[in-house]
Amino acid sequence: MRELIKSWKTVPSLAVLAGLFVAPLSLLFVVSFWSKKLFRVVPDFVFDGYQKALVSYWDVGLNTLAIAISTGIITTTIAFFFAFFIRFKAGRYGDILLFISLVTLFGGYLVKIYAWKSILGLEGILNTALVGLGIVSEPLGALLYNRGSVATALTHFLLPIAVLPIVASMRNIQDITLEAGRDLGAGPVRILLGVVLPQCRAGIIAAFAFSFLIAAGDYITPLFLGGTDGAMIGMFIASQFSIRFDWPLGSAMAFLTMFSCLTVVLIARLAIVRGRK
Amino acid sequence: MNRSSEWGWWGFGALVVVFMTTPLILVVLFSFGESALTNFPMGGITWKWYDELFANREFWKAFRNSLTIAGVVVVVSTVIGTMAALTLARMRPTLSQPLLIALCLPVMMPPLVIAIALLVYYVRWVGVELSLFTVILGHLLVTQPFVILIVYARMATFNYELIDSARDLGANSWVTFLTVTLPIIRSTVIGAGLIALAVSLDEFLITFFTISGGNTLPTFVFGKIRTEMDPTINAIATILLVLTVSSTIIAMKVSRYRA
Repeated sequence: MRELIKSWKTVPSLAVLAGLFVAPLSLLFVVSFWSKKLFRVVPDFVFDGYQKALVSYWDVGLNTLAIAISTGIITTTIAFFFAFFIRFKAGRYGDILLFISLVTLFGGYLVKIYAWKSILGLEGILNTALVGLGIVSEPLGALLYNRGSVATALTHFLLPIAVLPIVASMRNIQDITLEAGRDLGAGPVRILLGVVLPQCRAGIIAAFAFSFLIAAGDYITPLFLGGTDGAMIGMFIASQFSIRFDWPLGSAMAFLTMFSCLTVVLIARLAIVRGRK
Repeated sequence: MNRSSEWGWWGFGALVVVFMTTPLILVVLFSFGESALTNFPMGGITWKWYDELFANREFWKAFRNSLTIAGVVVVVSTVIGTMAALTLARMRPTLSQPLLIALCLPVMMPPLVIAIALLVYYVRWVGVELSLFTVILGHLLVTQPFVILIVYARMATFNYELIDSARDLGANSWVTFLTVTLPIIRSTVIGAGLIALAVSLDEFLITFFTISGGNTLPTFVFGKIRTEMDPTINAIATILLVLTVSSTIIAMKVSRYRA
């Protein structure tokens, strides 16, 4: 108790958390049970929002999970090998590579999306290069506005976020365990999967959780790069608040999405921890 | 065999670095290109997109709003975040760990959910007019976790005997903080503030939903991408990139912050 009284200096931060996070989210949860009458949202206790969300948006929801899960897996896999390279192979260049990852982490969320739009577009850089090199005769329309373009841009955006926790967990791995493995006759693949991987499970779980959750909740990337094929739930949640003003439906969609995402993360965690055997 | 696998690793590493950096480099490159299309050949080198951008009054309004928001956010977030981190660092782990996780929850949530929750909260419950002020509040929520984590990590290697000696010599807690603690952790605190600056300057979703009228740099870029892909986007994107990347780089230089 005395410790709590002495800790008054945490009060401003906790007040920000309580007043701008806990209270708004609680209200949003309450609103998800309200009803929409004509053009007004009125306090109520009904499950209309949830019902509408499940009936009308289940397909977008599944599409979102599919894109987010594949983005999470691709990102985590590349991040794992890149982190291994930084920690064990790159020597003194490792720090520079980590530095580059950190710099791109905070650099321009919208700028990255815009960059991918100009790279993958019909008159974009990639198409011009492909036509110029004679690899294709016509510009490829299929590069943009689908699941692939969304996953590519998301992977680009999330890679630095996924690299950091894996590198952090690899720092604790002693070089000697790798040498021991080598001396006992394990090949490089065996060492990577049998010695390194089991020792950085926590980092891998964190990397997957972060990249999956952020991908699932993103809405600007699919808005600009997704087309109809790559549509994701965030776009529809946002439109309930910006154009349609169906707050109960939007809130219900948000909570259903968060609930499904949490389930996926818990399953992934279980799978990675179980992989021990 | 061994030699070629070594080369394979370097090739892979180079590929990942190219993947991470090329899109950003292209944007910067094309902001100086004569051609109106973001494509090769880019034509000669020109400043005309910057001239066009600087002649746009909407750009300056957005720029000023971004700096106003980021300025307030950096100061408040760094002060309250450092206060919290210093206290958390001296608590029992059974108390500090849950608090730390709770304080960091806002950056683990999708920003969209926070944005709509804040919108509904401001409009329906608090009844406050949406303005730069409401944006600043939202930014505090998502920048303070970074400040807290960075300062908290620094305090793990802090020598508390220095504080005890100062107190034994009769300094009160304020004098001790200003003359002992702060000078030692100053670079970390500056670094944390700069990360908060980068996050605030780059924040889009919360700003978009809680600003009502007006623009910040990211919402200005958003409007341009949505309506017309005009070539000044490369210029403004470059400016945004230079601002966030340089504050990140300086932050890492001064605080020697490690992940």
